[in-house]
Amino acid sequence: MTHIEETQPARPLDTVTAGVTPTTRYVALIAVVVVISGGIALTSGGYWLSNFTQAYCMALTLMGCALLYGQLGLVSLCQWALLGCGGWVALRVYHWFHPPFFVTILAGGVGASVIGMIWGLPALRMRGLYLALVTLMLAGAFQTLITIMSFPVGGPGFLGQVPGADDRIMMARPIYAAGDTAYFLFVAFVTLLAILLVEVHRRSKPGRAWALISKNEQMAMASGVRVVFYKAWAFALSGFLAGVGGALLAGLFGQLDASAFAPTDSIVIFIGTLLGGTEFWLGSFLGGILTRFIPALLIDFNVNTYVGFLIFGAALLLGLRDPVGIGGHLTTLVERLYTKYILRRGS
Amino acid sequence: MIKIESLTVQFGGVRPLDGLDGEFNAPICGLIGPNGAGKTTLLNVLSGFVSPVKGSVSLDGVPLRSLSPVGRVSIGLRRTFQQEQVVGELSARDNIQAIADHISGSRHAAREEIDRAMDFVGLTGRANVPGRLLNLYERRMIEIGKTLIGKPKAILLDEPGAGLNETETEGLRALLLRIPDTFGAQLILIDHDADLIASVCIETMVLDFGKLLAFGPTRAVLDDPVVRRAYLGTA
Repeated sequence: MTHIEETQPARPLDTVTAGVTPTTRYVALIAVVVVISGGIALTSGGYWLSNFTQAYCMALTLMGCALLYGQLGLVSLCQWALLGCGGWVALRVYHWFHPPFFVTILAGGVGASVIGMIWGLPALRMRGLYLALVTLMLAGAFQTLITIMSFPVGGPGFLGQVPGADDRIMMARPIYAAGDTAYFLFVAFVTLLAILLVEVHRRSKPGRAWALISKNEQMAMASGVRVVFYKAWAFALSGFLAGVGGALLAGLFGQLDASAFAPTDSIVIFIGTLLGGTEFWLGSFLGGILTRFIPALLIDFNVNTYVGFLIFGAALLLGLRDPVGIGGHLTTLVERLYTKYILRRGS
Repeated sequence: MIKIESLTVQFGGVRPLDGLDGEFNAPICGLIGPNGAGKTTLLNVLSGFVSPVKGSVSLDGVPLRSLSPVGRVSIGLRRTFQQEQVVGELSARDNIQAIADHISGSRHAAREEIDRAMDFVGLTGRANVPGRLLNLYERRMIEIGKTLIGKPKAILLDEPGAGLNETETEGLRALLLRIPDTFGAQLILIDHDADLIASVCIETMVLDFGKLLAFGPTRAVLDDPVVRRAYLGTA
């Protein structure tokens, strides 16, 4: 006698975590970011606080990269360049209009999003290696362009350049975030908003559309999903996050250095994304910290920073073998502990 | 009603469909044939994934050729795939919600349609279970549930019974028979299970090497000696 196949027995982890409401997840997310950021603000200062601020800016960029790769399988190798684009637009807008700092950040995000879209739209019908190459070309083009144009420093005209280094005008931080610690907390707040923005996307209409596209594009189309539109949406959001990161970085230093935007850095961002993990927000957060701190630690230990490429190369091999990444493993561990707690409380 | 006229598809030197004509009028129609007969190619042409070199297809008098795959969904064409396509990370309900997001009129309408579809396929109690934890039968039910969203006119089912055991196939059979009356949609069913085809399909089209071998009332078609030789392997 045959019978309807028994459902695969659910693991306790799945049973408990499936019952966790989105609100609980959002509260947990906010709590984790607040605790980590608060801890950093209380214990760090000077050089390390600056590094943590940069790490958060990078985490924003990694978040966009993780969104594209984790949700849609799109390899974008221009995220660092998009961060630069965001920084350029933010500096340009700041020196022209001196708007409130939030507006400057938004301008950076929107600017990078638009630039990324203009470049990315023709490439959005591509996947895998082809998209990776096209986006790497954008990173290369940006480096060439920014070397010629440089970042605006308060001079006249569109490019905003000045004749001497002493004539440069720095981008001022907002009054409420003028100090290093206050600025770090401000960056942490913006990062938290960005994480929430991505999580809301992942758990709503676009996230479901991305899940279908990732599973099978034909099936997605047969489900009424406009594939190019939703890919473009992801690309725009990813560019926006990188642009916001660039604007915040510009706010940290008051200016940006044109020599710091090599295409290889975009590859490092992608590796950091894989290392942190693409499926959980925590992955981008940790990936950003690692991406910033590996070079910083090498400098601190007087080791040639090119050794960093060896470390990132090894990390890439690890990341490709284990796409869940450090963030995924940590999240699973926390969920497992939570499950044990719930089951113990239940019994 | 799906109408096919002089449909020819060519991939290089191969013609998976060659001058095919036919009109599916019955509420549940079968599409059978040996492997490589062109059944899935026909579904791909109807869905807009394959462009014919000649001929036309229409749904309720609306020519499909100029419509994109998404455009075809918006006029009421739905389909499932040979390999089940449930997203493991999404819950059972979210898998159905993912299509409702794009074709249901409003949030309220979407919620009602999802509830109705979940209830119809018997998965209301499993709504929050991630797709990866559902068994094959449940995943097939989710696939069918997706096709019931947003006033479907024609549903193309590509081997929904593949891999199901007898009891599950019986459940599938009962479900399929209820769809036309409950949802007002026509079913076009591809399956290798001749018993399933015989018990649910009123008329059946048989393809062989991209050509029409037989088309008519299912019992008569399945009893046709030519069909039995080509498809069932018996005289």
